[in-house]
Amino acid sequence: MFKEFAKGLSITFKHLLPGHSTTVQYPTVKLKPSDRFRGLHRLVPSQDREKCVACYLCPTVCPAKCITVESAENEKGEKYPKVYTIDMLRCIFCGYCVEACPVEAIEMTGAYELANYEREDFQFTKERLLK
Amino acid sequence: MVNLTIDGKQVTVSKAATIYEAAKEAGVHIPVLCYAKKLLPYGACRVCLVEVEQMKGRLIPSCTTPVSEGMVVITTSDEIKKVRKTVMEFLLVNHVLDCPVCDKGGECDLQDLTYELGATSNRFEGEKFDLPTDEVNPLIERNMNRCVLCGKCVRVCDEIVGYGSYSFINRGFETKIATAYDRGLDCEFCGQCLSMCPVGALLPRPFKFKARPWQLKEVDSVCGYCGNGCTVTLGVKDHKVETIRFNDKIGVNDGNLCVRGRFGYSYVNHEDRLTKPLVRKNGELVEADWDEALQAVADGLSKAQQGQGVGILSGARLTNEELYLLKQVAKVVGTENLDHSGGECYKGVTEGLKGALGVAASTATFPQIEKTNVILAIRSDFYETHPVVGMVVNQAIRRNGAKLAIVADKKGKLDKLPGAKTLLSKPGLELDVLNAMARLLLDEGLAQTEGIEGLEDLKTALADFEPSQVAERTGVDLETLQATARQLAGAENSAILMAYGLPYQGLNKELATAAANLALLVGIPGREGSGLYLCGEKSNSQGAIDLGILPQNAGKGAQQMLDAAAEGKLDGLYVVAEDPLSSYPDRDKVAKAFDKVPFLVVQDLFLSPTAEQADVVLPAASFAEKDGTFTNAERRIQRVRPGIPSPGEARTDGAIFSALANKLGSTVTFTGPAAIFAEIGKDTKAYAEFNFNEIGPQGVVWGGEVLQPVCKKVVAVSGGSSVKGDFQLVTGSALYHSGTVSTKAKGPMAVLSEPYLELSREDAKALSVVDGDLVKVAGNGTELKLKVKVGNRLPKGVVFAPYHFAEANVNRLYKGEPVIAVTVSK
Repeated sequence: MFKEFAKGLSITFKHLLPGHSTTVQYPTVKLKPSDRFRGLHRLVPSQDREKCVACYLCPTVCPAKCITVESAENEKGEKYPKVYTIDMLRCIFCGYCVEACPVEAIEMTGAYELANYEREDFQFTKERLLK
Repeated sequence: MVNLTIDGKQVTVSKAATIYEAAKEAGVHIPVLCYAKKLLPYGACRVCLVEVEQMKGRLIPSCTTPVSEGMVVITTSDEIKKVRKTVMEFLLVNHVLDCPVCDKGGECDLQDLTYELGATSNRFEGEKFDLPTDEVNPLIERNMNRCVLCGKCVRVCDEIVGYGSYSFINRGFETKIATAYDRGLDCEFCGQCLSMCPVGALLPRPFKFKARPWQLKEVDSVCGYCGNGCTVTLGVKDHKVETIRFNDKIGVNDGNLCVRGRFGYSYVNHEDRLTKPLVRKNGELVEADWDEALQAVADGLSKAQQGQGVGILSGARLTNEELYLLKQVAKVVGTENLDHSGGECYKGVTEGLKGALGVAASTATFPQIEKTNVILAIRSDFYETHPVVGMVVNQAIRRNGAKLAIVADKKGKLDKLPGAKTLLSKPGLELDVLNAMARLLLDEGLAQTEGIEGLEDLKTALADFEPSQVAERTGVDLETLQATARQLAGAENSAILMAYGLPYQGLNKELATAAANLALLVGIPGREGSGLYLCGEKSNSQGAIDLGILPQNAGKGAQQMLDAAAEGKLDGLYVVAEDPLSSYPDRDKVAKAFDKVPFLVVQDLFLSPTAEQADVVLPAASFAEKDGTFTNAERRIQRVRPGIPSPGEARTDGAIFSALANKLGSTVTFTGPAAIFAEIGKDTKAYAEFNFNEIGPQGVVWGGEVLQPVCKKVVAVSGGSSVKGDFQLVTGSALYHSGTVSTKAKGPMAVLSEPYLELSREDAKALSVVDGDLVKVAGNGTELKLKVKVGNRLPKGVVFAPYHFAEANVNRLYKGEPVIAVTVSK
């Protein structure tokens, strides 16, 4: 019985040795999230504007109702989002908006540091999302 | 009736039904694209193919095949599914897939069918259409790349509207829907085509990119413009009416609307709407709170009533409940001077019809017009004031072969309908034509004289109306006159139509009486399927008459009130939902009245020219913000429902009247429109049988589908008189507008934005003017400058000016007479 204890604890102690720790010294060290990580959204730009055509599918599918879109007509007669805002305080990062988008205009990045001091700072406007 | 089996279900339907209709009745779903219940079967899309056991070997289009006894129909099988899917693939070969930016997305029949039939890939390849879109016109956007050639727009424009804007052009793959010479659309802009379009080829331009269909809250209400009482389904998003939704399931209009109903909604969200009460202090109108404003009104009215009295002028666009409350306010103030709509225009109903038939309303309902054989329209403006009834007339002609005759001083849309005969008389003499017809019926023994009083008097009075003399005097073709009168007498069912409203003040009572005489002589009143229709210009004109918004006992009518005020013999005027300065005849008199009257209160949506003169202005609510009922021109009481909140502090007229009555010392309060409606029944017996909460989607018609006349008495009327002058000016309504409020709506203004003077081609040539030139119009001691519009409608020597635009000052020329002598010069 003592042998089993020693075997088990040896694994534990091994992890205490330098080079075996899984803890990362955040924020000085940062992990790179996986490619499929669902972090902060990004609106994809095209040549002269955003790719988004304001079809309203993302606010419709959004279970947290955190996306606000207002469509309008630009000078070329195209439909574009005059307003596109995501309320990050309400977002649950489900990724349905990405899935629903018919023109691949929205994607989710690996950015996960979303803490802020002001409530307004959680409102990600079109300009911020296009960055 | 025919018995058949659809998917194993036994169905019994009328023998006129198609397989599709039978299946619908049996609850069996068959997909369709080109079918519409109000249009004739067409069979363009081939999506509705079914198998019929008796016709084995091929698939049968269910929407065009009539049922027959013992038919066995199968609507879904593997083969049918495969064929339908192939049809979809064909349709999608050229159809651009821009659903994300297409406003139809979400309610598109093609989208739904693609999903339903699982057409996820396409075996065929072809070029996508790349046709230019028609963005020239302001209201209807045509994108032919999305068209599936179902032909619904072509058919509705022809079969229902009778305009015929569209047709198919080219052949084969090149086929497309186009206007004449493939130019931009230039039509009535009723928008029937875009309501029918199953895809996004025709879309309302004012609604472009505004919202997705699923985001809109739909509120069924009644249009606030004319007296036809069309159901409008407001599409509301974020407390704003964004569009009018297509709805052919309820109401009297079968989904049909006119340019005002479909595109004229935007005034309710206009930025100029009054949001706070205004009170005049030191000569300036300044914002005040409700308590202060109402107190000022209450004090002012009480003081005026103790002096030389108060007059109350109302518009006819308030709900029945509000009109009832207004009457209560009049009672509390203690005034008998109460009137609506200028006081003159509705006298054809309250005096003309009342005198002849003992009832003050149209005698039948609109759907009955479609079944009539002969229709007589008095004044061609009937289509301009009530376009949707005009569409019913068109259907009567096209579907049932009805004969239409028009007695008018100018031509209009109705004259263009197939087989329409116009009795074109000199302005002011329509009355003589009607009298001549009555004379002819009596002379030839065609008249139904049984049980009719006053015949001898009428015969004597008609001595001067020998048809041939009248024809000569009025310029009407004698043979047409005779033929029309004979047709009316011989018709199984017939209808006589006449519109009344603010710009038609002259000879109203006389014309209506002559029409009633004619109706009596051909036996229309009380006969099933026939009717005499007098249609009010405003949405609740009939309600205002039913509720008695008329001079009480010895009280003054609208014109007497204005006369008295102008002479300094009236101390207070309370004007509700009217802009007399802009719309009443004789602007100078109205202006003098408002100038002289010591205390003027105006309750309106906008700071109208009248409101600018007021001592207190109360901000009111539009029809889209109200709960209550309207009574349309066929006596149908329909529910008006609120879709949006009022802007700022604006309140509904009803709420204002209640608060004002309480300020004036009344203790009566009501819990809501239902309670008021119940009260109305106590005064207006015809309303007593209905319960507010039980008014269904079709509304309720007081007096029944056919209103039985109380008496049948022909009343002698003398003839009209024409005027001598270079030109004869008639005023009236333009198709794109209704009253003055539509000039605040973007849709109608986009089509017709400024006042004009319409001239015949001959006159324009003689004056050497073209469209857009300014001309001087002088008459009645005033001179106006108006832009010329040259048209085909008018005979030589007659000019027409619409009355909707305040800035045109047409009502300085027009003082209520049927026709005005004017000179027109460059």
